[in-house]
Amino acid sequence: MRLTKKRKQSIALLLFAFPALAFYAVFMLAPAFGGAAYSLTDWNGLNPAFSWVGFANYAEALTDDPSFARSLAFTAKFVVFMVVLQNVIALALAALVESRGRSKAWFRTIFFMPNMLSMIIGGFMWLFILTKVTSYLVERARLTFLDRSWIGDPDYSFYSILVVSLWGGVGYLMVIYIASLQGVPKTLKEAAAIDGASAWQTFRSVTLPMIYPALTIGVFLTLNSSFKTFDAVYALTGGGPGRATQVVAMNIYEEAFSFNSRYGYASAKAMILFLIVVVITLVQLRIMKNREVEA
Amino acid sequence: MKKALHLGLILVLVMSFLSACGGAKDNASAPSSEGTPASSGSSASPSESAKADELPQKVELKVFMSFPRFKDQFEAYFAQFKAKELAEKNIDVTIKLEMPNPDQAKQILQTRLASNDAPDLFTLHAIADIPTYYKAGYLSDLSDQPFVPKVYESVRKTVTYEGKVVALPLESLSWGYLYNKKIFAEQGIAPPLTLDEMKAAVDKLNAANVKPFMLAFQESWIPQLMMALSLGGTVSSAHPDWIEKMNKGEASYRDVASVFDIIDLIMANGTDKPFEVGGEAGSADFANGKAAMWVQGPWQAETILKVNPDMEFGVAPLPVSNDPAGAMINLATSTSLAVSPTSKNKEVALDLLNYILDDQDSAPLFEELKFNPVATMHTYETFPWISEASSYVADGKAYLDLSLPNGVTDETAKLLQSYYAKDVTKEEIIETLDKAWAKGVQAQQ
Repeated sequence: MRLTKKRKQSIALLLFAFPALAFYAVFMLAPAFGGAAYSLTDWNGLNPAFSWVGFANYAEALTDDPSFARSLAFTAKFVVFMVVLQNVIALALAALVESRGRSKAWFRTIFFMPNMLSMIIGGFMWLFILTKVTSYLVERARLTFLDRSWIGDPDYSFYSILVVSLWGGVGYLMVIYIASLQGVPKTLKEAAAIDGASAWQTFRSVTLPMIYPALTIGVFLTLNSSFKTFDAVYALTGGGPGRATQVVAMNIYEEAFSFNSRYGYASAKAMILFLIVVVITLVQLRIMKNREVEA
Repeated sequence: MKKALHLGLILVLVMSFLSACGGAKDNASAPSSEGTPASSGSSASPSESAKADELPQKVELKVFMSFPRFKDQFEAYFAQFKAKELAEKNIDVTIKLEMPNPDQAKQILQTRLASNDAPDLFTLHAIADIPTYYKAGYLSDLSDQPFVPKVYESVRKTVTYEGKVVALPLESLSWGYLYNKKIFAEQGIAPPLTLDEMKAAVDKLNAANVKPFMLAFQESWIPQLMMALSLGGTVSSAHPDWIEKMNKGEASYRDVASVFDIIDLIMANGTDKPFEVGGEAGSADFANGKAAMWVQGPWQAETILKVNPDMEFGVAPLPVSNDPAGAMINLATSTSLAVSPTSKNKEVALDLLNYILDDQDSAPLFEELKFNPVATMHTYETFPWISEASSYVADGKAYLDLSLPNGVTDETAKLLQSYYAKDVTKEEIIETLDKAWAKGVQAQQ
């Protein structure tokens, strides 16, 4: 086999990428395929013997599992809130940071810092704040509107989780939006200002279309990660009380490692979650990519 | 100059990371390294005398226990075992002790067992885990071991499955609910034996502005205790064949719906914001007299006494109906020790297992760990609350903890949390538990 120059280049590329590719294959792809295989069995995570049940797990998850359906609904509600709020807030913060002069780096750092914390740690911090600090404030500072069970009451625990996830996630998107805002040509904004457009009109008609690619990425990232939220919920409420704040990832985790340890069934539910996320994000990317505009 | 400064700073940071890693690793391997110095220490003296015979045979045992709070006691006990084994059988045993947190222990153990890396000895929960582990082939038959006849009959039954003894019981419990002796004496209340008496006691406490019940529902296993007692008392006194019928699918939780009576009473007369109180916080509050009663077991005794060493509490059976026969103490075995059938050093492992119930050395160990006596050699004096519970047992007012199919207990835990938060109704709980039971029975086929 003659090694043409082109072939040599391809082989060189593959060799360079090989270590990373090997790690990815072993730690990401192999378990994914393994999970897909287990989803067709009724393995209980412990017994070396198990039987192949085909798609019975999928059928059961979609028809006979009220807690799975409920956790899907709860997660969907959470995703909608997160996508809207996280992107709006990140954009607002990015615009704020961009408009600062000398304190730009300072503001950027403060808003990005929560993202550097692991969400589990952040979750435990907020658990302390929402339980001990609020009760202290209620007693001493008489801020009675804080006097409710932020974690235990199913009505309010949703908002607690939302706030903590936003606190942790906004920084990352803000950095992306800052980068894209810096890419908007100044000439266009100046032209709009000369034509008498107000700040809001400039933003809506000039800046926003120019940062559309970043918006696509932002929405995609938020959709992807909020469907899979686990850390913040686990640390704050553990899915409780009961199952009131149980997101899909927690439902799957519970199914696989507690109760009956139905590992095969939980793998099937995980595959279903994967398919849902894939479909939704593909649709979203397709729609938003078509609306992007070139400078 | 600047470059050198930056390079220097980076070097310092990296070194501090590496030294921290090295430090942590030393701590992690401390248990096993502590084991070897002890064995080399003990093997130093006997080997001097046995040097004439032969070199001691080296054996390594992997022991997996889920009580990190008893690490020191067990390490000392294993050092004693090493000395004994070397003196009697000329075997130098190194014991690698693994003690993870109880919440992760089950998963770690299951992963090890499933990947053929089973420890030689490991702890498991007798009532909950024995059936599953036995069916998967991870427990060996211990019926002919010398410790078996020494174990109390009632405790031995809890570690027997399909006629074979498959584990050595460590933690045996007799429990009902805990009550604050001082508050009861002040209000002139005696532990009630019927539901009406309990209601009267609750009214008296409410009138005196004392919260009757401690509610600590953050960790789901605590609310589930209410159902365990309630169901246990109801089934053992009024519906003795209910479990059999449920396993055949011929009964339902509707038949024993009266279990909710005492649960409703407890939930309606408890402390505030229960979802923000976990086991530790609950123990602290109970020890400080914030409530008169707590549906909890004496396994919390250590935690409670740590907060308030002068606290006097007692154990009483929970009344479940107006039939005093329903108020009984629950006898259970939780943590037990099993031997893996794939152990490479089965003989030495079995020696260690039998040593846990050794005629001379076992009693001091169990006394130090504050475990209940489980066998004939445990003649130490028990704590006042244990004697109180045992008095009920001696009167015949006790039953063996019910053996529910896998998953029903966990489901009950979650449902009771939701029940307090008014997320589910009684009907829904009954339906869901019936379904969970059926699924559990099916999974065990």
